[in-house]
This record gives sequence, C-alpha cells and structure tokens, in this order.
Amino acid sequence: MRKHGLLPKTLAGAAIAALALTGCRGDGGGGGDAEADDAGSGPGVSSDPCPDAVNEDNGCITLGIITDLTDTFSAVAVPLTEAQEAFWQRVNENGGVGGFDVQLVIADGEYDPQATSQRYQEMRTDILALAQALGSSQVMAILDDMRDDDVIAAPASWNSAWDFESLIVESGANYCFEAMNGVDWAVAERGEIESVMAIGYPTDFGEDAAYGAEAAAEANGLEYTQITTPTGQDNQAEAVSRIVQDDPDLVVITAGPTETATIIAGAASSGWEGTAIGSSPTWNPGLLQSDAAPVLEERYFHLSPWGPWDYDSEGHAAMQEALGDVTPNFAYVMGWAWSYPVLAVLEDAAEMEGGITRENLVEAAEQLESVDYEGILPEEAGLRAGDPSETAYRASVINRVSPDAPGGTELEQDLTVGPTAEAYDYTGPCAALD
Amino acid sequence: MTTFAQAVLSGTAQGAIYALLALGFVIIYKATHVISFAQPALMVIGGLFSYHFSAVMGWPFWPSLFVAILLGAGLGMLIERLALRQMVGKSVFTMAVITIGVDVVLRVLANRYIGADSRVMRYPGGGERYEFLGLAISHRQLTILAVTLITVVSLALFFRYAKAGLAMRATALSQETALAQGVRVGAIFALAWAIAGGLAAIAGTFIATGSGGSEQDTWIIALKALPAIIIGGLDSLQGAVIGGLAVGIVEQLTAVYQSTYLPFLGTNFSLVAPYALMLVVLLIRPYGLFGTREVERV
Repeated sequence: MRKHGLLPKTLAGAAIAALALTGCRGDGGGGGDAEADDAGSGPGVSSDPCPDAVNEDNGCITLGIITDLTDTFSAVAVPLTEAQEAFWQRVNENGGVGGFDVQLVIADGEYDPQATSQRYQEMRTDILALAQALGSSQVMAILDDMRDDDVIAAPASWNSAWDFESLIVESGANYCFEAMNGVDWAVAERGEIESVMAIGYPTDFGEDAAYGAEAAAEANGLEYTQITTPTGQDNQAEAVSRIVQDDPDLVVITAGPTETATIIAGAASSGWEGTAIGSSPTWNPGLLQSDAAPVLEERYFHLSPWGPWDYDSEGHAAMQEALGDVTPNFAYVMGWAWSYPVLAVLEDAAEMEGGITRENLVEAAEQLESVDYEGILPEEAGLRAGDPSETAYRASVINRVSPDAPGGTELEQDLTVGPTAEAYDYTGPCAALD
Repeated sequence: MTTFAQAVLSGTAQGAIYALLALGFVIIYKATHVISFAQPALMVIGGLFSYHFSAVMGWPFWPSLFVAILLGAGLGMLIERLALRQMVGKSVFTMAVITIGVDVVLRVLANRYIGADSRVMRYPGGGERYEFLGLAISHRQLTILAVTLITVVSLALFFRYAKAGLAMRATALSQETALAQGVRVGAIFALAWAIAGGLAAIAGTFIATGSGGSEQDTWIIALKALPAIIIGGLDSLQGAVIGGLAVGIVEQLTAVYQSTYLPFLGTNFSLVAPYALMLVVLLIRPYGLFGTREVERV
C-alpha cells in the first residue's frame, strides 16, 4: 500500500513509459536476430539490454507484477513486492537467467478483480510472465486472458485451486492444507479441543481455509461452526459476539491482521479462553504495538507454508542479505519464496528449443519436477508434473508470537504434514473458484 | 440480562466515538449549513498527530492527545480559510463537494504517512479491564466514555455561556441577523471547523489505540457518523450524541442477538442495522429525533 502510496504507481508508469521509449519489449516473435531467437523471443523478451541492465551483454525479460499497493492487503503486498524486486535483482547480479536480465513492471491491482484485469490489459503485450498476481478472485479475473496469452504467474495467495491450474506456479501448502495442519496441531498441543469455529472473509481466501478446518474438525471428531466476517476493525462485533456465545475451543481465522487482532482481543476481553490460529495473511508485526499484543502472544498461532524471517535456511539468509536494512516482516519471506518457481521455469525454458518464450514457459511449468528453494522448502515442494493429488505439497509450519523475534514470530513447529492433510483425498480444489 | 447489558455497554463505548464525529458534522452544519465530508480525513489525521507524538517522538499519551486536538483544530480552521471562505454565498451543494475534494487530498497525504503498516498507538492503560455487576469494561472503553462525557458537557457549557458559543448559536439561527448584530460570521465559521477538527482528532486518537490502529481505510469508520446525524437530527447537538450512541448500541445488539432471533437476515447484518434504524427514524420523523422541523411558507 502504502509505503509507496503514489510512488509505486508513478514508478510503474515510468517503467512502462521507459519500456515504450527504449523498445525493450517483445518483438511478437518477428524481430531480433537469430542468436536472440535461440535464447528466447516473443512478448516480454528482447535481445536489447534492460534500461537498467546489470549485465549489458544480456537481453531483457520483462515480468509483470499485479499487486495490492493501496488496499486491504497492501501492508503485506508492499514488502512482498520489495522482496521480489530484491530477488530478481539478485538473479541479475548473479548473471541473469538464460542470457537475459529480468526487469519488473509493477502495477496496483487494488485487491480488486476489475482493477487487476485492467492492469493486466495494460501490460499483457509487454510481459513474458507474471512474477506476482495477488489474490484469488483477482487472478480468476485474468485467468482466461492468461490462457489466451500463454502467460504463467506466480500467485500471491495459497488457494488450493492453483494446484489444479497449470498456468499458476504456486509454492507451499495452500490455505486448505494449512488449516488442516493447524487444527491437527492444536488438537495435539493445545489441550482439550472439542469445538472449532472458522471465521473468514466471505471470499475464496476465507472459504478455502474454512474447508480445510472443517475437514480437520470432521477427522478429529470436533464440533464445527463457520461464520464470515467483513473487512474493517469496526465491523468485527458479530464475530466477537459469536465466539463469546459459542465459546469454541479453537478459532481458525482467515482475514487481515487488523481484523484478526480485533477479533481475538475482543473475544478474550469478554472471557473467551480458547486458542486462535490464523492463516498466513493474518499476521503483521505492527500488531505487537497494539493492546492486543499480550493476548496474541498468549493464544494466537500463525500458520504459514514456510518458516519465519529468521528461519535457518540459505534462502532466508540470501533474502536478508539482498534486502539489507529493513524491518523484519514475514511478507518479505513470502515474496522471496514465491519467486523461486518462476526462476526455475525460466531456467528450464532456456534449455528448451526456442529458448525463453511464453509457450516454453507454460510447458516447463507443467513439467516442473523440483525447485531449488535454497532450503526454504524442500526441492520436492516444487513438483508439478503429475496428478495434484500426488504432487501437491501439504506440509506447513506453525509460528508463535514472540515480541523479541525478528518479524514478531518464531517457529513453533517446523514443516509438518498433519494426519488430516496426509489422508486427504485431493481430487479437486477445496473451495471452487468461480 | 447480563448479555444485553454488556452489549449496551460495549455499544455505548463504540457509539461514543461515533458521537464525537457526529458532533463535528453537526457543529459545522449548524454554523455554515454545509455537511462537511472532510471529517473522515480530519479524524485520520488527528489520530496520526497523536500517533506521531506518542509512538515516534515518545511523548506520553495525554500530552500527545492534547497537542493533536490543537493541531486538528488548526487544520480545521486552515481548511475553512483556504478552501471554503471564498465560497461563502455559493450553494451549499458546491461547498459540500469542495469538502469531498479536501477529504480526498488530506487522505492521500495521510496515507503517504501511514504507509504499508497500520499505525498502532500504544494505549497507556494497556488491556486492563474492570468488572462490575458481571459487566466487563476495558480501561480504554472507560476512558473513551469519560472523555466523550467531558467533551459533550464542555461543549454544552460553551454554547450556553461563552460569548463565542452564543455567537455561534446566533449565527446558526440567522447568519444575516448575526452579522447585523456585530458577530464576525467568518470567525464563527472558522471556530466551527476548529471545534470539528478537534473532535475528530479525539475520535481518531482513540481509534488509533484500538487493536488495528490507524490504516489507510480507517477513514471509513467516520462514515458511521452519517446515520448518527440523520437519526439525531442534522442540526441538533444532543441529537448527534444520542444518534452516535444509538448507532453503536444498535450495532452491538444486532451483532449479539440477530443470528439467534433473526437468522434469516444473514450474517453481518449488524453493519446494516444502523442504516435500517435510520430509515425507520426518517419514516417517523423525517427531520431526525431532535432535528428542527422545516417549515416553509407557501
């Protein structure tokens, strides 16, 4: 959002203008010399160096980012995007990929399907692929166009539908498995759990996690209820009231950080003493400054598909070095980790006949067998070739709030597949996307 | 019964914030006959003033709030002087549209400051809670109620006894007559905006001390003052207070009871409830519970 309210739009506009001025855009397959065509061609691929090329001898690949710089998830999306900028800068500094440097075109989709679609239309002829497409219904709004264009995308969401969509190169366990693992963990570690309430936005995001929570509740013989809640800290009275009335032992929240803190603190202040687990986007270290911090520290646990900021892996260390002096935030880890499959697909496509093209990227994504996440996730987490019921990665981590830890959370349980997720018959997305 | 009383208590605390905002709307309306749509931005910026002094500069909470009120008042006067004074005499619709523009500009500036993270202001009472007769109330809620009460009583005394307050009441009755009696109407306009800016700063500060702090979309909270002023009556100060409290209480009661007794209304009907109440009030008293009935000679 907001760290760069107008700045990102300005920069994005400037970047697009620079693209037009410098001619660093696709030739539509018709331009470029023979050598360039061997390395790659088509929209978003140029044999000319990028405007700010790290390697002057390299060509230029343009990747698009449609994120949320100004709306509901901007607190997450801005650092997420900064991490992706740092990731691709590091790729360039390491020599690029397949003889190309990578440049990014960043646009604000405002967490809105219509705005996301509009941003995609503006960049669709200029990009090779999307290095980030934020949201679930937002991605659905552009998916048909992406199919028409043979454009792959790294999602900035963990919807289970992505396991069944060849153009989306996802990373980590989805909201559905994450919720299953969270409920299983709580049953094992948080005392007697007999009832579960799922609270989420009335969106694909909320529905996906709620489906996983319900599946785990059923597998563990728990009483299950589900409610939806809107955005806005002033609109959580009903969610708080329902928790206080039903008094569930476990609450599974799929909302933004503000709503999460308001709900948990509000319910706790009215006497609720249960445990809360929240999907990846529910945490923001800024919550440590709120009056909800003591309650969150005591009874809120953050579910995530990979380890927090200070997790011990080469990838985390590389991210911290690339980002430099920033305030630790899990959103950085999200953006960084999501970029690895795109890099892997680019590297694989570079080895294919015709080099880096949109069509080869699609083929490489479908055949992806492993991704080097530099230890953030195991390589097999990148497996996409095959039936999703066999290939989908199901392990996730549990973090606890720790004011002293960088990013405000520390690892409670490392990558683990709970019994519900392990046994789950994954023949289709948990919550169908319209 | 305890559940009901608890819902009323919690709703009253939330409604107190709406009441402060509603008072700002009404004071400007009474003085200038313009509905100021800049109140959301004034609320957010007032909260950010407090946040900056408290969280960034390390000032204690109360001095931060006090200076934020002064700055909020100053900002209100500045808006009136720069954007609205020249438009005196133009249609109130034109002036209302100008306040929308002011609101947008100020919120863009505020959002530049807020950035990506929410700006959460640490409240000195922390999460401390008190229980009385089975009812729980937090230190923060209690403070909101106390501050609102002190503010409302102070305003009532101001309008009843202070010379400037009397001048404001005279201006509200008839600008031309007030002018003829030597009242500096322009200064009264500025004073109205100053009071509204200060009230918005108080509301914004207490919102910033909430669990979610102040975010880029926090301004939406201020819109809940709109049903409050319609319910209470656009030109009634006591109506603004009662309307604000009514919105908070109705919201809370609906959140607690609707899913049990009126489940067919669906989830989150509590968001709609204040507007439903507003429609009911408009059907019975089109000028609001305490508003002045408009009489036109035909």
